[in-house]
Amino acid sequence: MANLNLRSTQERTYQAIVVGSGISGAWAAKELCDLGVKTLMIERGPDVKHLKDYPTTNMLPHEFPHRGQLTEKIKEENPVISKCYAFREDAMHFFVKDAEHPYVQEKPFDWIRGYQVGGKSLMWARQVQRWSDFDFEGPARDGFAVDWPIRYKDIEKWYSHVEKFAGVSGFKDGIAHLPDGEFLPGYDLNVVEKYFAETMKKEYGGERHVISARCAHIHGNADAFAAQGRGSCQNRNLCQRGCPFGGYFSSNSSTIPWALKTGNLTIRPDAVVHSVIYDEAKGKATGVRIIDRLTKEVEEFYADVLFINAAALNTNAILLNSTSTRFPNGLGNDSGVLGKYVAFHNYRARVSGEYEGHAEYTTTGGRPTSGYFPRFRNVYKQETDFLRGYAAGFSAGRGQGPNTDGIGMELKNNLLNPGQYGPWHVGSHMMGETLPKDSNYVALDGSLKDEWGIPQLKVSMDYDDNDEKMVKDYLEQMTEMFTKAGFTNIQTSDSKQAPGLDIHEMGGVRMGKDPKTSMLNANHQLHAVPNVYVTDGSSMTSTSTQNPSLTYMAFAARAAHHAVAESKKK
Amino acid sequence: MNRRHALRHIALISGGLALIPSCDFSKEDILAAYENLKITATQKALLAAISDSIIPAGEIKGALDLAVPDFILVMVNDCFTKENQEKFTAGLQAFPDYAEKTAGKKFADLSSKEKETLLLQGLALTGDENPEGTVLAQVGYFLSSTKRFTIQGYMVSEYIQTEIIPYSLIPGEYNGAVLIADIQKTRVNG
Repeated sequence: MANLNLRSTQERTYQAIVVGSGISGAWAAKELCDLGVKTLMIERGPDVKHLKDYPTTNMLPHEFPHRGQLTEKIKEENPVISKCYAFREDAMHFFVKDAEHPYVQEKPFDWIRGYQVGGKSLMWARQVQRWSDFDFEGPARDGFAVDWPIRYKDIEKWYSHVEKFAGVSGFKDGIAHLPDGEFLPGYDLNVVEKYFAETMKKEYGGERHVISARCAHIHGNADAFAAQGRGSCQNRNLCQRGCPFGGYFSSNSSTIPWALKTGNLTIRPDAVVHSVIYDEAKGKATGVRIIDRLTKEVEEFYADVLFINAAALNTNAILLNSTSTRFPNGLGNDSGVLGKYVAFHNYRARVSGEYEGHAEYTTTGGRPTSGYFPRFRNVYKQETDFLRGYAAGFSAGRGQGPNTDGIGMELKNNLLNPGQYGPWHVGSHMMGETLPKDSNYVALDGSLKDEWGIPQLKVSMDYDDNDEKMVKDYLEQMTEMFTKAGFTNIQTSDSKQAPGLDIHEMGGVRMGKDPKTSMLNANHQLHAVPNVYVTDGSSMTSTSTQNPSLTYMAFAARAAHHAVAESKKK
Repeated sequence: MNRRHALRHIALISGGLALIPSCDFSKEDILAAYENLKITATQKALLAAISDSIIPAGEIKGALDLAVPDFILVMVNDCFTKENQEKFTAGLQAFPDYAEKTAGKKFADLSSKEKETLLLQGLALTGDENPEGTVLAQVGYFLSSTKRFTIQGYMVSEYIQTEIIPYSLIPGEYNGAVLIADIQKTRVNG
């Protein structure tokens, strides 16, 4: 290759390469470095250093020219990313703009991306509920996708491992399908949320729970995190800007600085991975080919072990683009399932209402989480006309709405002295499990390429009848529950939003027992290329209802230890 | 971090948005901030007079002291659709006539009380589909937008959020069951 970087091969050789610096990639890198492995972490975007590169973190509301709002110009230029709740004036610099990285929507798909060191771990919603065997056994029990090759017992200790390091606040709720973990003190539900939780317990014979959602925030004694340079969450709720306290977990505040301290980590930002290099003679992957984001120069890096954690859909894209004589359809793709059976979470439906009770109370201060409804549909057995179920968020709050009546001095005094409290507002949103299927897929476009000459990704995902029935059931059930609790003015809505806006896209490189129907084995290795590991969203066989990031973190830690154990056998 | 530095930084990574001039309000940049609006100096002065009536100075500063008219124009220029910008500027253009017809005097010649009465009347305008009704609807839209942005620009200003009702970046530990009766309130006199 003419423009191949001339630095010696030796200089570009590491023991391990991790592609991606987001929540799963940086976890893999941290574990590898802790185990003494010289690791190169490759990131397609620019570097974002903890504290230094959080330009808006301490800005006051009045310092934003539009007080947080997006301008029309930005909305017009970015119809997709502007839909994301966190894409606002204070954090828009961390999101990929529509024009920068085009992709092909064979069906509508809102692809929310963060291309920088730390990836989306900077702006994530920080919800970390464990999965259970009710999730891992789902496909086998209900006859969809393929059976997971692992069970809860395989991942349990890795959940503990990552929770202790990341810092997870929560309560031991004793719910079989939402296992307890290594928790820092939880954040209490407020008086109305507690009332609702108690009402649900009574009305549904103890089968429907409302708990305080477990979140990746340091709460209570922060001593254990001092070694990471992190302190307690200050309840600012400005997380998407990057946290100056390291109060929530992100790659930038936690795993990356930790891995750097070992002396074993090298970070290569601005490197767009073109493909994984497969050595036909050796019968294994030997490295990755990258294109410098800025100079467009091609460079290769080599290692014994590779982790491809580029985020769900981009990991698919890299493997699809890694073709060779042995693998003409993408690396490790003997089965033809690469890119298929992608799925997501169904976040379409919401229910809101008001509550006149507990009128003497309000709340003060801030908290980084709220209420959570673990799945209650089809948990122990099939009981509805749709498969699987949904979890839901739940929260209650009230305020003294600004009194904007009048004009002149009357208005001024109304504004400066908020008067009556309004009723409590209660709200819920669904988080539905969707079923991975052959017809939902991603593939490389045959003609369109990106700025680096890499084929654009074509995304084709849609809801199905199962999802429609689930939306209907959620709206009915939540309305019934709100009614039983005495909530009034109950409003339901179905946004019909396209897949993607949930930011929980998964699959395409799924785990499974059989190489004929899956890409990865029980140890997160490509069946056909065992020195390549994948532990991000692409590896998910099914989607559960729980937020998936914690599971990616646990998978990454588990896989890193497996890789090191394997290398010692040789 | 230095605020201007921070703002420039956002602008750089977010692709060079035209944000900096608009938040700076410095004289050389100010016209560029309203490039989508056809606003004359006289009209801007009128807008300022209206915002002054909406939140006047008293024991504490009012909208005019806090450059609220600039904020209104920045928001209309940057955050309104083209259609709404046209409605807003049409309403602004029609306002002097509306004031004279309704109150019998130029807006500037009215007493404070008369200005307030006129604005309250104008804020209630919904108009209809006749040519005259369309103009009234534009006046109503212009005034309600102006009131909304006056409130926002005033309440979310450095002055209010640092000197009058301090905004806390660190709101403290959550308490989910506080008796309202126990909350101490201090009255702020405008």
